[in-house]
Amino acid sequence: MRYFLQRLSQFLIVFFLVTFGVMILMRLGLNAPGDPARTLLGGTADEQLIAETTEKYRLDSNYFVQYFFWLGNLLQGDMGYSVPNSLPVSTLIKSRIMTTLLLGLYATVLSVVIAVPVAVWQAYKRDGRFDRSASATSFFLVSFPAVVLAPILTLFLINEIVFTFGDYQLTIGGWFPRVGEKIYPWEDFWGHVENFFVPTLVLTLPLAAIYTRLLRGDMVQTLQADFITLASAKGVPPQRVLWVHALRNSLFSLVTGVGTQLGAIVGSAIVVETFFDLDGTGSMLVVAILSKDLFTVQSTAAILVITVVTVNLIVDLMYAVLDPRIRHARALA
Amino acid sequence: MTTTVIEPTSPEAAATPPAEPAAPKRKRKRPSFGMIFACGFLGLLTFLAIFADYLPFIRFPDTKVPGPDGRPGRYEWGPGWEAWFGTDGISNDVFAKCIYGARTTLQVGIFSTIFGIVVGGFLGVLAGYFRGWVDRVVSIIIDCLLALPALLLAIILVNRLDDYATDAAWLGWLSRKWQIVITLGILAVAPLARIVRAQTLSLREREFVLAARSLGAKSGRVMFREILPNLIPAILTVAFTGLSILIAAEGALAFLGLGVEVGTPTWGKLIDENRNKIDVAWWATIFPCLMLFLTVFSFNIIGDRLSRRFDIRQAGV
Repeated sequence: MRYFLQRLSQFLIVFFLVTFGVMILMRLGLNAPGDPARTLLGGTADEQLIAETTEKYRLDSNYFVQYFFWLGNLLQGDMGYSVPNSLPVSTLIKSRIMTTLLLGLYATVLSVVIAVPVAVWQAYKRDGRFDRSASATSFFLVSFPAVVLAPILTLFLINEIVFTFGDYQLTIGGWFPRVGEKIYPWEDFWGHVENFFVPTLVLTLPLAAIYTRLLRGDMVQTLQADFITLASAKGVPPQRVLWVHALRNSLFSLVTGVGTQLGAIVGSAIVVETFFDLDGTGSMLVVAILSKDLFTVQSTAAILVITVVTVNLIVDLMYAVLDPRIRHARALA
Repeated sequence: MTTTVIEPTSPEAAATPPAEPAAPKRKRKRPSFGMIFACGFLGLLTFLAIFADYLPFIRFPDTKVPGPDGRPGRYEWGPGWEAWFGTDGISNDVFAKCIYGARTTLQVGIFSTIFGIVVGGFLGVLAGYFRGWVDRVVSIIIDCLLALPALLLAIILVNRLDDYATDAAWLGWLSRKWQIVITLGILAVAPLARIVRAQTLSLREREFVLAARSLGAKSGRVMFREILPNLIPAILTVAFTGLSILIAAEGALAFLGLGVEVGTPTWGKLIDENRNKIDVAWWATIFPCLMLFLTVFSFNIIGDRLSRRFDIRQAGV
């Protein structure tokens, strides 16, 4: 419990510092009175409106007052107004966030589902043919950033490639629509799958490779431990030893990885959403940063930071769930 | 003066001692195919990038290549003899643009890694050596840097630095390239500081540090003459893996329109410019992708090799 409180306070410090830092960054160079409001409203706004906006969001006071004013509003659900989109920021984020959430969720779940069996089998048949080919494949896939994988998958899955051998024509590709429309799974399930398949794949492949490598490393070590030998010796079926005893004790790096890779997923999601014209938070954020839409950037960044830090907090608590030794050591502390 | 400095490449420098006693001296293993490929590719790329201006078979990136009818047009040459990687939408040679792009990418990657090593290494050593409140402050900085998704931080920083540099006169030297270097350097600080901190924590308990201190060495000397040389393997390993991540990030930034100055080709920019024509001219998009992939891949191979050689685990860098 004390440990949990310690982590929670760390969480809060990080949250305050990062959101405050983002605010300062976005305000850099806007020092003249009325500047932030003018930036917010665009170049053509009249003085009256600028003064009103400055007044409304306390944009003329110092950074701390501004920050806590913004934070207070955020806690009450008011995220400010996005002028370029002429929408309240909360409405804007609400309409976009589902795409990003689904992408991230699919990518994480799918890559764990792929990584676990592959890595377990690799460690079980260590240095066998499957192990070596899977290691090579995952090493290969780790090196595909989203910027590279997206065009390549577009070429092979979205475009049609026609091979001509004399009279015979072979067409591959063209299986998926080019522009990702936003179709939610509860509206049209197969349409959703069609639209999200390639973007999800771009996120999933490198991620699955990273997870596989992490889990295999741990698994190989666990399988050499004494308690595995003991379990086998007392007659536990080999598959049960593998999937229950060994797997549970090898999950540390994987669980850590899920936490640390979250930032990378968001980064890839920004690229993927821009590439496939999916209107999610990532592509919105890029536009917002470029057009200096202060409140949109601040609020979205806050949401992202909360997500990342919360997941890492959960990951930390997962250690205790996975390993009784940690649980008890912490209980004593 | 003192003889306690362990050779930087010695495996004892790693945090975990080797599991088995040192094997009897084996014959040197031949480098693997992967290493040869990675070093060969990076060497070739660096050579081409440095001497691109003088090599006869590399055009300038803004030279218009005449099409089959003698006039420049859009995507007229596919990959072939006239233009090795084909020509792009404004009839420039994609191969030339890729090589000149490598110039930017390698510079940005290397300089930002150096930035990260200097700042991150310094912070990490301080945190690991002094512990206490220094450690806490550094850890919070690292946590903050890791809490905000890296690419998001990079986009905000580049965009803001750009505005700031145009406003402030004393920042005139801060061209787009150096902004990206600083931005990516800041991103590289967190993982480097973390690994250096962890290693310093274990190194400071070792006998040679105790010996140096009992001989009366000051903290600064212990940190930079005794501990730092032992950190080199860890730093190198993380730096090479980090380079691949930074290069990918540079590609992503350029793709999102935050690349270096207009007129300087980069891989990310090439991908962005040509991706809508991928169905008529795949070469203009796929070749830059391939270059980016091969570079990232090569740095990954080297990083992986180093981490095995020095036995450094780096979960989730």
